[in-house]
Amino acid sequence: MSELKDCPLQFHDFKSVDHLKVCPRYTAVLARSEDDGIGIEELDTLQLELETLLSSASRRLRVLEAETQILTDWQDKKGDRRFLKLGRDHELGAPPKHGKPKKQKLEGKAGHGPGPGPGRPKSKNLQPKIQEYEFTDDPIDVPRIPKNDAPNRFWASVEPYCADITSEEVRTLEELLKPPEDEAEHYKIPPLGKHYSQRWAQEDLLEEQKDGARAAAVADKKKGLMGPLTELDTKDVDALLKKSEAQHEQPEDGCPFGALTQRLLQALVENKPFSVPHTKSLESRIKEELIAQGLLESEDRPAEDSEDEVLAELRKRQAELKALSAHNRTKKHDLLRLAKEEVSRQELRQRVRMADNEVMDAFRKIMAARQKKRTPTKKEKDQAWKTLKERESILKLLDG
Amino acid sequence: MALVSADSRIAELLTELHQLIKQTQEERSRSEHNLVNIQKTHERMQTENKISPYYRTKLRGLYTTAKADAEAECNILRKALDKIAEIKSLLEERRIAAKIAGLYNDSEPPRKTMRRGVLMTLLQQSAMTLPLWIGKPGDKPPPLCGAIPASGDYVARPGDKVAARVKAVDGDEQWILAEVVSYSHATNKYCAPGCIQPFPPFVCRYEVDDIDEEGKERHTLSRRRVIPLPQWKANPETDPEALFQKEQLVLALYPQTTCFYRALIHAPPQRPQDDYSVLFEDTSYADGYSPPLNVAQRYVVACKEPKKK
Repeated sequence: MSELKDCPLQFHDFKSVDHLKVCPRYTAVLARSEDDGIGIEELDTLQLELETLLSSASRRLRVLEAETQILTDWQDKKGDRRFLKLGRDHELGAPPKHGKPKKQKLEGKAGHGPGPGPGRPKSKNLQPKIQEYEFTDDPIDVPRIPKNDAPNRFWASVEPYCADITSEEVRTLEELLKPPEDEAEHYKIPPLGKHYSQRWAQEDLLEEQKDGARAAAVADKKKGLMGPLTELDTKDVDALLKKSEAQHEQPEDGCPFGALTQRLLQALVENKPFSVPHTKSLESRIKEELIAQGLLESEDRPAEDSEDEVLAELRKRQAELKALSAHNRTKKHDLLRLAKEEVSRQELRQRVRMADNEVMDAFRKIMAARQKKRTPTKKEKDQAWKTLKERESILKLLDG
Repeated sequence: MALVSADSRIAELLTELHQLIKQTQEERSRSEHNLVNIQKTHERMQTENKISPYYRTKLRGLYTTAKADAEAECNILRKALDKIAEIKSLLEERRIAAKIAGLYNDSEPPRKTMRRGVLMTLLQQSAMTLPLWIGKPGDKPPPLCGAIPASGDYVARPGDKVAARVKAVDGDEQWILAEVVSYSHATNKYCAPGCIQPFPPFVCRYEVDDIDEEGKERHTLSRRRVIPLPQWKANPETDPEALFQKEQLVLALYPQTTCFYRALIHAPPQRPQDDYSVLFEDTSYADGYSPPLNVAQRYVVACKEPKKK
């Protein structure tokens, strides 16, 4: 039984349209006999009236469908088994749910459940069944109380921090300690490449050559001269650039020698007559020789640094990296050591747990003996003492 | 002659309609009984504080019966309405046939003597008797119901009313209320077979007649200058989405004229027989819009022009 206020039905007013008032023409036509018939001029009014009737019937239909749906859902929610069972029991009588019976009496009889049923023998069957369903209703309700699983969630979240250390984890630590392969790379200082102005100049020239080649190639397409042309051009460009570079390398009006070479030659030779091939390598060889002899200090580093900001930055970062790596390595070592220690302690603790179990067993045996009102046997007492002592020794190891 | 047989057919249909109407009332009185039962059950349920399963089952049974009755009633009513539509279309055919016959019989242009008042009354009647779309539960309103546009390949039939954009004598473009004479679909335009026309038959266009016979009567227009008017009214109670909404730009027939002008919807109709309330664009008013005027659903179509020409 449910309360009226729980009822989701809306109890619409299903009165049909009062056609006497709203549809006069319709009413008039109804009153006429077939012979009189309908006049053409009445069609419009009739149409409007029929539309009104149809729209109200349509609306009624929609509302009825909605209400029936609500009723069905509501009934299903509140223990449809009850109704299904009842329905089946009453099949011999009148089906309560089918709309066929127009007489209320039959429906009334079918609808009454536990009350006076349509036949005596049926009511006896019904009673225990109804009671069954009353009970089975409750378990459906109970699970709705939410279980308090907050402690479970808490322990689950804390578990990773308190769990035992496995050998896998130790192995992972050891692997971490291995220095990374690419460490050497990080400390390399790449050599100075071509200066960007030169590189861009070269690239621009190349582009122009390519464009020219493409334009020419488009014209020459029919002759099929495209491929080799572009290759040649690249080579030409390079040669061109090298020539210009070589020219730029000599701001010192025509002197092919480097600074050191010049000074040496000045000291050793009166005039500068001859041209020496490989002047650049001569310069560097002289430099090296002088440094080896201790006459000149290797002064390349600082000179480079002052102008090269990128290099300075690179060196700073490398120093940082070195320091950090060293720090990490020491920490990893410590961690590994601690982990190994912990693993051994874990083993001890495991042994303690087993010893605990044995002590408990012995205790239970003695209690059982006491219950049976007999003194524990010597064997039992000895066993108890043994287990106790074992446990104590392990504990000592642990704390030690 | 064709006209006579049309008459007898119409008489037949009227008799059938009469029968249908009588059947409708029988159905309605039969279901009345069940509705009264439902009412009584409701009352009883509401006076008692608890709802017993007995009542629930009973109510369910009653509702199911009522549903079946309502469906039957709807079916018969629909048949009756279809019958009326059939009769009307026959009448319309008869009118068009008479018009064409009249055109052949005398070479003078059709009489221009229809008075303005008569024309306006006709227009109003046509708007009122536009059939109302009442869909079955689950039906969607079809194209040309209220604001629902026609399908892309829709071609208006002879006798359909449309809004047509014509060029007036002084060069101005105006949307007028017109009736389709014919359409030739050879090359996607309308033209009238058997009618005196300056265009060769394969130039396809709509041929439309200005409703107001004072203006130039026959126009030949391409499809994009012709908007078919709705063929059903939309029911605000069941299909409000088939109505134009407030602030939508539409072309509406100015009251007491036969021309369409741009307007904004002020309020859609509340009941099936109600009109739209619209604000016409009117530079003679301070805010650029006229006060709200009523225009029937039949004479309101979507406006596609981006700017006033």
